[in-house]
Amino acid sequence: MDTPNPSHATYYTPLPEQPSLDGIPAARRRPLKGFVVIFASIIFLVSLVGLILNQSQEPSTPSPMPNNDHKPSSQNEPFSQQMPRGVAEGVSAKSNPSAFDEEKVSYNWTNAMFSWQRTAYHFQPEKNWMNDPDGPLFHMGWYHLFYQYNPDSAVWGNITWGHAVSRDLIHWLYLPLALVPDHWYDINGVWTGSATRLPGGQIVMLYTGDTDESVQVQNLAYPANLSDPLLLDWVKYENNPVLVPPPGIETDEYRDPTTAWVGPNGKWRLTIGSRHNTTIGMALVYQTTNFTEFELLEGVLHAVPGTGMWECVDFYPVAINGSVGLDTSAGGPGIKHVLKASLDDTKIDHYAIGTYDPVNDTWTPDNPKEDVGIGLRVDYGRYYASKSFFDQYKKRRILWGWINETDTETDDLDKGWASVQTIPRAVLFDNKTGTNILQWPVEEIESLRYNSTEFEKILIEPGSIVPLDIGTATQLDIFAEFETELLASATEEEEEEAYNCSSGAVDRSTLGPFGLLVLADDSLSEFTPVFFRPTNSTNGTLTTYFCADETRSSLAPDVAKQVYGSSVPVLDDEKLSMRVLVDHSIVESFSQGGRRVITSRIYPTEAIYGAARLFLFNNATGVNVTATLKIWQLSSAFIHPFPLDQ
Amino acid sequence: MQKTLAFLLFLLFLSLHLQLRCEAAAINDDDDDLVENICKKTPFHDLCVATLHPISNSSTSNIKGLATSMANIVLVNATDTLHYIEGLIKQSSDPKQEKALAGCAELYISVVKYELPQAIEALGKGQYGFANYGISDAAKLVDQCEKGFSGTSESPLSDRNKLIHSLSQIAVAIINVLAKG
Repeated sequence: MDTPNPSHATYYTPLPEQPSLDGIPAARRRPLKGFVVIFASIIFLVSLVGLILNQSQEPSTPSPMPNNDHKPSSQNEPFSQQMPRGVAEGVSAKSNPSAFDEEKVSYNWTNAMFSWQRTAYHFQPEKNWMNDPDGPLFHMGWYHLFYQYNPDSAVWGNITWGHAVSRDLIHWLYLPLALVPDHWYDINGVWTGSATRLPGGQIVMLYTGDTDESVQVQNLAYPANLSDPLLLDWVKYENNPVLVPPPGIETDEYRDPTTAWVGPNGKWRLTIGSRHNTTIGMALVYQTTNFTEFELLEGVLHAVPGTGMWECVDFYPVAINGSVGLDTSAGGPGIKHVLKASLDDTKIDHYAIGTYDPVNDTWTPDNPKEDVGIGLRVDYGRYYASKSFFDQYKKRRILWGWINETDTETDDLDKGWASVQTIPRAVLFDNKTGTNILQWPVEEIESLRYNSTEFEKILIEPGSIVPLDIGTATQLDIFAEFETELLASATEEEEEEAYNCSSGAVDRSTLGPFGLLVLADDSLSEFTPVFFRPTNSTNGTLTTYFCADETRSSLAPDVAKQVYGSSVPVLDDEKLSMRVLVDHSIVESFSQGGRRVITSRIYPTEAIYGAARLFLFNNATGVNVTATLKIWQLSSAFIHPFPLDQ
Repeated sequence: MQKTLAFLLFLLFLSLHLQLRCEAAAINDDDDDLVENICKKTPFHDLCVATLHPISNSSTSNIKGLATSMANIVLVNATDTLHYIEGLIKQSSDPKQEKALAGCAELYISVVKYELPQAIEALGKGQYGFANYGISDAAKLVDQCEKGFSGTSESPLSDRNKLIHSLSQIAVAIINVLAKG
């Protein structure tokens, strides 16, 4: 075990105006004494506080998270102990959107309800907390996933790198921890990082370490034995850290190094997210030849005012003809680059498509109005910290995304686990629209399919629902196509203001909404609509919205129930189509071949096990809806530990 | 006197010869016994014996040797089948069949390049769990290949796929004996 090196304090200078270092010394991971005092007063104060704040809290958007710029005195206020986990340590909030657990009546969850919530074919550890996916790669026939993991609890903390392997991105096998916080430079957390595969087969892993003084630095690690297909053991570079916060960069806003790519001068480049003047999100660029010595370039890859700290930056090329994934170093004509950032301030993953200039190492968005952080989202639901990698085996760009719980921390501690990863998605440029990417579950998921049921042109009249008899409805792969027919009796619609999904599935209009009710019970005491809502906008054009409405998803009062969604481009010759993966407490919904995606966390109390059903619904007033569906049952992926000790 | 001496020598040679033959036979019998004993514990006894018996010699005189031999036989069969598939693709005139064959080629490439070599290496190192996982996985992929033909014309690979699947199961069973013993 290394003793702290006192001279490391000279690598950087803490900036005087940063209250996060000087003003909040008490904001350590376990403010035990303060916790006890605050907890005593909480019982008296929380109801008062909760009453006031409940009235001012917006129902459909999460309350903004306090971040490091919060006044130092906030630490002494009663709800400081409810500050979402992680914020004081310098990462984004890691607990659920409602920061005020205590005053919400906790539902009487039974063990059966909790057990049902565990997913059957999504990656999640056997227990405890997980967040960002890390260093995904393919090596010697195995896909590797690393992930932020707390080995001790179902809440964020003590962060290590968990490790799992799979032959097919679906059937995962748990392996021992890959990296643990055992040096001064990562003793407060082995945080997010990425892998770079060098020609010749060497793998380098760069990751953010939180030091013993809570400074964010970048460290290098590499496999102990490259010929081990399981890459069980990892070595940390003896002279870590290889990067420390440069002058002018806050020491706790400097993290999540990307996969590197080769530039025209033969040097590698990578980017690290940060911010300037607290509100300008940006991506710094470094060049290197050996991954131990780096040169910070002047300027940035890109910056966008008003977006705040950029976490988990991802930067990768896509082919304009949209047929195959590209190596991270690919470039030249026929290629655009995607720049993506996870916004610390809003907990949303945004991306934009643009052009990379490899000579100046800058990137320019195709559409500045939809720049990174102010335009498209990677996923319009509960989704964060996504990271892609190039699968050199099947020539795909694969995207991982972290899906946090939306129930309470208490629930997570009770059930003993929190968070899942999405099904990995293949990413392609959408050549038909030219303005977005397409995401689609990897084809290997089809190996889980059994028992398909087809429905041809089912008619759903306005204001009605149709049950779909498919057997159990908790593990499904649903393909649905919808056509509408305007009724003669349809009234001419008043031109609407922008709908944007927020009013949910009960907001009826002439042309919509219509779609599926997933995780519904027979009596419809609980249901989750996933639907389309075509809308006539004020200028006479038709805009179609794709939404998931959780407001009726559960009778439990202590889970978040958002409405998610967005408009989705629909081309003239296209029918409205959706693909929905249902896997217990996670639903992934894809519209128009993956043009817009929504991930939802659902915690029903009634619509579980054999009581879960699937319906079609049509809440429009003026159209008949005809639906054609193919629905597969999906078996479990039986994710289990790798049989190592035999 | 000389005739008696000659006769005694003859008897001596005869007994020596017989003894040697007996010993030789005893060695072969031991090997055969081992093969027989092991193959009884696999799901395809006759196939197991037929495969292992001709190659049983001193290098396969223990269970690990038999397991390794069997795994290698699976690999040899898979490699040969891959070449066979590639040949079929070149000659194919039926697009549906060609698609199924292409799918099989992809699966077999994975088996020949990754699954089986890694399993055999793991076996050599005593990592029986890993070895079994790899060989079982290879069997699953071969199944997937065969399923790719359902609904189209008959599979030209049925016999080969079935054989490799059975040999894989035998290998896994032998490794299980190893792992327990």
